[in-house]
Amino acid sequence: MVLQLRGIRKRFGGVQALIDGCLDIKAGEAHLLLGENGAGKSTLMKIVAGMYAADGGDLFWLGERRRFSSPAEAQRAGIAMVHQESLLAPHLTVAENVWLGREPGTRWGLLTRGGIEERTRALIEQHQFPLRADWRVERLGPAGRQLVEICRALAQQSKLLIFDEPTSALAESESAEVLRIAGELKARGLAVIYITHRMRELREIGDRATVLRDGATVFSRAMAEVTDDELIRHMAGRELNDIHRRTPAPRGRELLRVEGLTRNGLLRGVGLVVHAGEIVGIAGLVGAGRTELCRALFGIDRIDGGRVWADGTQVTFKSPRDAVAAGFVLAPEDRQRHGLAAGRPVGENLTLAALDRFSPAGVIRPALERRAINEQIGRLRLKCGSPAQPAGRLSGGTQQKAVIGKWLMRGAKVYVFDEPARGIDIGAKQEVFELMDRVARQGAGVLMVSSDLPELIQVADRILVMRNGRIVAQCARHASQEEILRHAAMGGEA
Amino acid sequence: MIQRFLPLMTLVALAAMLSVASPHFLTGMNLASLIRQTAVINIVALGVTLVIVAGGIDLSVGSLLALAALLGCMAMENGYGMGVGVAIGLAAGAALGLLNGLLATQLRISPFIVTLGTMGIFRGVALLISGGLPVHGLPKQFSHLAEGETGGAPSVLILLVLCSAGMHFLLKYTRLGRYAFAIGSNPEAAYYSGVPVAFHTTAAYSICGLLTGLAGMVESSRLMTGQPTAGQGYELQAIAAVVIGGGSLRGGEGGVGGTLIGAMIMGLLANGSDLLGISPYLQQAIIGAVIILAVFLDEIRKRRLEAAN
Repeated sequence: MVLQLRGIRKRFGGVQALIDGCLDIKAGEAHLLLGENGAGKSTLMKIVAGMYAADGGDLFWLGERRRFSSPAEAQRAGIAMVHQESLLAPHLTVAENVWLGREPGTRWGLLTRGGIEERTRALIEQHQFPLRADWRVERLGPAGRQLVEICRALAQQSKLLIFDEPTSALAESESAEVLRIAGELKARGLAVIYITHRMRELREIGDRATVLRDGATVFSRAMAEVTDDELIRHMAGRELNDIHRRTPAPRGRELLRVEGLTRNGLLRGVGLVVHAGEIVGIAGLVGAGRTELCRALFGIDRIDGGRVWADGTQVTFKSPRDAVAAGFVLAPEDRQRHGLAAGRPVGENLTLAALDRFSPAGVIRPALERRAINEQIGRLRLKCGSPAQPAGRLSGGTQQKAVIGKWLMRGAKVYVFDEPARGIDIGAKQEVFELMDRVARQGAGVLMVSSDLPELIQVADRILVMRNGRIVAQCARHASQEEILRHAAMGGEA
Repeated sequence: MIQRFLPLMTLVALAAMLSVASPHFLTGMNLASLIRQTAVINIVALGVTLVIVAGGIDLSVGSLLALAALLGCMAMENGYGMGVGVAIGLAAGAALGLLNGLLATQLRISPFIVTLGTMGIFRGVALLISGGLPVHGLPKQFSHLAEGETGGAPSVLILLVLCSAGMHFLLKYTRLGRYAFAIGSNPEAAYYSGVPVAFHTTAAYSICGLLTGLAGMVESSRLMTGQPTAGQGYELQAIAAVVIGGGSLRGGEGGVGGTLIGAMIMGLLANGSDLLGISPYLQQAIIGAVIILAVFLDEIRKRRLEAAN
């Protein structure tokens, strides 16, 4: 046994990411780690790779109880991780990246360039990677960068290589290459842990599979002994929690129509319709194009084709400002980066999108603004010390409510919520869903993107499933998680 | 909380120390000359405060001051009245600031680079059109702008108070000011919120240019010449005033009170060193050390706030 995990726990603020992470990895096996988005797979692997410290539980590495307090320590022990988003220095060469932090230098700290380049070249030739040691990493695409990370792992004689959804950002041919390499590493006696969402890859590479659900290991079996349906059932078997199922509001007129929305490989002819009073859910795996759809609808990214109608009028959004003016608003996935001015007071954030109303002729009327802010804080039951408290110091759930409050202050016809409940506690989730329900009842249309299937099923009136930049299925309100997951994960990859 | 008022306390302590150490410090004449010496930097620093709050930086203000003032002075030299001359100086300042803003927002080049470039361009143009020589023959009453008195107080003091009040109002009570803070704090969130980011960023640079143009006219009035070499190094003094007063070069923070205190601390250090006979060479080193110390203390305050969260 190369690696054993027992009862690993990890908490981030109010979110319990892992409660009972268990895993057994043998040398020379490719082990699949499966689970829905947010099940805790990446967190568990980052603990193994020394990027996070576990709150509890045991990690045995080569039979010895260990605790890696930094990635460098885990690497020295022989554990390497290939990340979804590459963590390389783009301006350095392939060879420099492969040896970064472990440069075989002279005693005086002088680097010997030739040495690392030769050794990297040997490594590349041995594995027939389509790379050159002297290329700068910035010219490589995502697949090339992953190969560099793999080279890094090989160069440091790793015994365990973790792939965190390596193929989600790759084209089909590149995915095949990564799979080939993972298989080859396995054949050389390395242990490989492979996180993926793509069902098709499972059989191709996996010897065993372990399924995580809600932060706990729920299933582990040899691949030869399970069917795909069995795996999906274990992944999806999340308990429906005590969130009330929404009773749909009467459907009004069409507020949003999208036809053939296309953006350079990320969106391929997306079409959908949202009516007043409706909450339409969008499901899909990481990389299916959900966030890209939100961004395109909100005028952040240029689209290459397709048409959008807002409340019956055809529109083109060149910037979020155009979208907002037409009554489209977006509560973005990354609240910290795109939703709030963290250093500014909550109150200022709430009025930011509707400031015109409080500043006739450009001069702010403090009394008018203060009253609106206090009303909004009361209505949302926003937990903040005072309107002057910086928005960045609110809890995740309160921040999300503040972002929504900002848009409610302005009012809109179509609300797009990208992962509205991610990373917030159950109480705040409930309140966020109630707010979404309220705007729909008041006659707005709501588009809700979520990776959390039970939530989507409870909140949305119908669910569109995206895969590879397309909407591949529409599921009714009472669809099962299995049905949605099957559409999202299976089928021929385009 | 105490640390928030550190700049003000430093200023008071500095003034108290100087009053004790030198009998010449607390005299009307010294204070009036102190005001006249620092008014120009103060006005420039007010404009730079707006730019820094909006998350930008303006390195060109020294050169911009020279070019705008030169244009105003040349108008007066050619027989246009004082009013027209001053108006041209202000308009030129606003236009040059507008150019900075447009270059930064439309070409999407970092403002550090844009204003580093225009710093050279404005200075070069000023030297070219003047042939490197000062502009003389300004109308006599023009000297009142810097040297005159209004109601017993130096006119520049009144001008400075008006500019400060105006900038304070702009930052606190106008849409432009609010957007400037939001853009400086998180440009992406502002953009996602539908704020016209490019327009308001450009406006900030233009207003900074306008104030710098005004400062340039005051400087010309004090010297009674239009100097193509005026304002050298002012950009760094203005930025220093903003950061000593609690402004953040990362944007989203800063204010008129802090900037004025920062500028006055630097003015007092220079004035006090003169009175106490400290070498001007050493003065520069002292001011440099104060900048680092002030920003360091402010950083400690912010880190504590974050840790307390």
